Amino acid sequence: MKRMTAFFLAAALVVSMAGCGGSGSKGEVQTGAAGEAGAQSGKDSITIATDVDIDTLHPSDFSTTIEHTILTQLYDPLMYMNPDGAHEPEPRIAESYTVSDDGKDYTFKLRSDVTFHDGSAVTADDVKFSLELYMNSEYQGSQVAGLESVEVPDASTVICHLDNPYSPFLLGVCQVPIASKAYYEKSESDFSSQPVGSGPYKYTGREKGSKITLEAYDGYYRGEAAIKNVTYEVIPDQSTTAIALKTGEVDFAMAESSTMAQIQGDEALTVEEVGTSGFSYISMNLEKEPFNDVRVRQAINHAVNRENIAAVCYDNEAEINSNICSKERFGYSDDQFQYTYDPEKAKELLAEAGVTTPLNLGTILVAEKYSNLATVIQSDLAAVGLEVTIEVKEFNAYIDDLTSGNYDITALEMTLDGDTQQLEMAFCSDYIGTANNARYSDPDMDDLFAQAKAETDTDKREAIFDQIFTKAQDEAIYAVICNPMTLYVHHTDLDCQEIPFEGIYSIYNFSWK
Amino acid sequence: MYKYVIKRLIYMIPVLLGVSFLVFAILSLTPGDPGTIILGITADPEDIAALNAEFGYDKPFLIRYFDYIGNVIFHFDLGTSYQSRQPVIDDIMARFPNTLLLAVLSMSAASIIGITLGIISAVRQYTVLDQTLVVVALVFASIPGFWMGSMLMLLFSMKLGILPSYGADTLKHFILPTITVCMTSAAGLLRLTRSAMLETVRQEYIRTAKAKGASKKRIIWKHALRNAMLPVVTTLGTSFGASLGGAIIAETVFAMPGMGTLITTAIRQKDIPVVMGATLFLAVLFSLVILIVDILYAWIDPRIKAKYENGGRSRE
Repeated sequence: MKRMTAFFLAAALVVSMAGCGGSGSKGEVQTGAAGEAGAQSGKDSITIATDVDIDTLHPSDFSTTIEHTILTQLYDPLMYMNPDGAHEPEPRIAESYTVSDDGKDYTFKLRSDVTFHDGSAVTADDVKFSLELYMNSEYQGSQVAGLESVEVPDASTVICHLDNPYSPFLLGVCQVPIASKAYYEKSESDFSSQPVGSGPYKYTGREKGSKITLEAYDGYYRGEAAIKNVTYEVIPDQSTTAIALKTGEVDFAMAESSTMAQIQGDEALTVEEVGTSGFSYISMNLEKEPFNDVRVRQAINHAVNRENIAAVCYDNEAEINSNICSKERFGYSDDQFQYTYDPEKAKELLAEAGVTTPLNLGTILVAEKYSNLATVIQSDLAAVGLEVTIEVKEFNAYIDDLTSGNYDITALEMTLDGDTQQLEMAFCSDYIGTANNARYSDPDMDDLFAQAKAETDTDKREAIFDQIFTKAQDEAIYAVICNPMTLYVHHTDLDCQEIPFEGIYSIYNFSWK
Repeated sequence: MYKYVIKRLIYMIPVLLGVSFLVFAILSLTPGDPGTIILGITADPEDIAALNAEFGYDKPFLIRYFDYIGNVIFHFDLGTSYQSRQPVIDDIMARFPNTLLLAVLSMSAASIIGITLGIISAVRQYTVLDQTLVVVALVFASIPGFWMGSMLMLLFSMKLGILPSYGADTLKHFILPTITVCMTSAAGLLRLTRSAMLETVRQEYIRTAKAKGASKKRIIWKHALRNAMLPVVTTLGTSFGASLGGAIIAETVFAMPGMGTLITTAIRQKDIPVVMGATLFLAVLFSLVILIVDILYAWIDPRIKAKYENGGRSRE
């Protein structure tokens, strides 16, 4: 009896293995045929690689770039505004908007022919619901900062009441996807996992950890999209993505600069370099000596060789910029001072500050992924007589130290996207403990940002930002290095038009040549 | 024998409780909180606190642990992911079949290749064939998986264009990952089988078998192999268990959604329910595999079976 049990177990193992082997050979034949058919069926579908999977498709409670990108295909906003903030908004679900003279009421007139993917009409109530979803969201609530209430006087009009004039509101409200109130009320879990949107593509399915599929919505009010079927494939490894692009298994993907060597020689592939507002920078703890001396900070700004850092750490896929405001962004001006590589000038500034070199600046604390940045900076600083030792920490431990001010000097990347107003997080005293890593505190700076927030006149607002960034550069609050670019690789036959600043593309604009 | 199995199953309970407590403690005592990780440092601290409160992360560590383990034991509920806000079991079930299939395929391939070549190598000790096999095994055991995976992909996907480079849709997608995973284990098994066989054939009972005129075939298959299999089966069991959670490299290189990548991603995001659920799931499986290995011992070696039976009886 006991012996039989053992035999049975062993036999079960053998059978299960044999079973796998058998079905294996059958599977191969089938997929071979399916694969070929897929390749020939051709030019109205697209396969896009993403290095991370999505966790949710909730229109307001999402946090990653890929979730944002896919939501952009599924949902339309009231109006589309290019994220550089300088363009006029284009009509989408709203055909026009007006702002009251006091800058506190924004009125949107809606189109009447917009439908959700289930065929129901998009109404003013749905817009109100979507905006309120954002107001109450811990994830994306900052997009509609200042919004106090939403009023629906008739079926095609929505009025947003602000508590104070707040000029970044328009760009923020243009990020809100318009979702269906009725669908949300029917099932909250389907609402986030099987979205019914208002955009050019509808959600058709998902395999966790592996793929997400979309299909062109035939009732889309701007006309059906040229690309009919979209498949997002999750490929975590960058070199696998590069190979899949070369074999034609993938048509479009975001790529890291390190894979450019593999891709650039291939004529069948085209690389798009898209500017971003993200910046890599050195942050100095202004509460500690000698960083409280402006001349030392200026010296550090002159000591770093930005071109060399861009070459070593970003394979030259970055725009050199010592200004925290990227060049495409509203408020940037070439008149604002740019720090250039000048070790002699750095030494002079240090001498002026009464620093005797070599001086030990303590440790440059970095998270692991920025350790190469720290290594290059370390050698640049050593060349002007400033010594640092590198300390590498696990990312979460690093963030704890960074936000609590438990560091001397550090190097990292940050994104403060949206309206230029968002850069207040790097400078205003309210944000010490969160994104104001330098722990910079100056009432004049706080006041300038408060003025920019309330100013509704574009020219005047630009002048205030000019003052802000001139001041930030003169005081060398941070040592900004560059704006790394987002790289997209696609098949040369795929026409992607222009991918907007920040890199959130719309597949609606894509077509096969 | 049945009593032995039941006893072992009962022993699994404290093991699993221990595993769950250790993992939960390590995750909770390392820096960072899920709210900050999800929303980023640019978020409003109030939003972060609200999100943490929603997850129950504001409660003390021990209370969170007992809440969690209570739900697992009394409601069979592995909780809800912080990131996706969906049941953890869904995340696991979406990936587990891939992991299991890859583990079964690669361990089957590894044991067939490794054990067969190991026997051949031992029987032909010191011949050119033996020495070639040993050297080749050493080379394969030393090649890192990510390099092996990339090279296979370059050859079969890019140059020859006969196999897909990523995904887990069909069995065809499993060929390259299986080769990547099985090569290292096959090389190890070859070396182990060879040395175990060589040790056994030096035993006196083999000489006795030869003396009584048993055929060479019978000596190898009946007398030597069975005794040499004990360490090999042990290794098979542990490496099967390890490959359930440990094929991370193959999963990453070939973009195959599996348990390894699920756990590593969740650790980085401090998604405690997912890490806990996946770890417990794998711990149960690993314990079961080890139990099966122990039962196989009894089948292979009657001396061990006798021990199990005595153990069972003494409890009566």
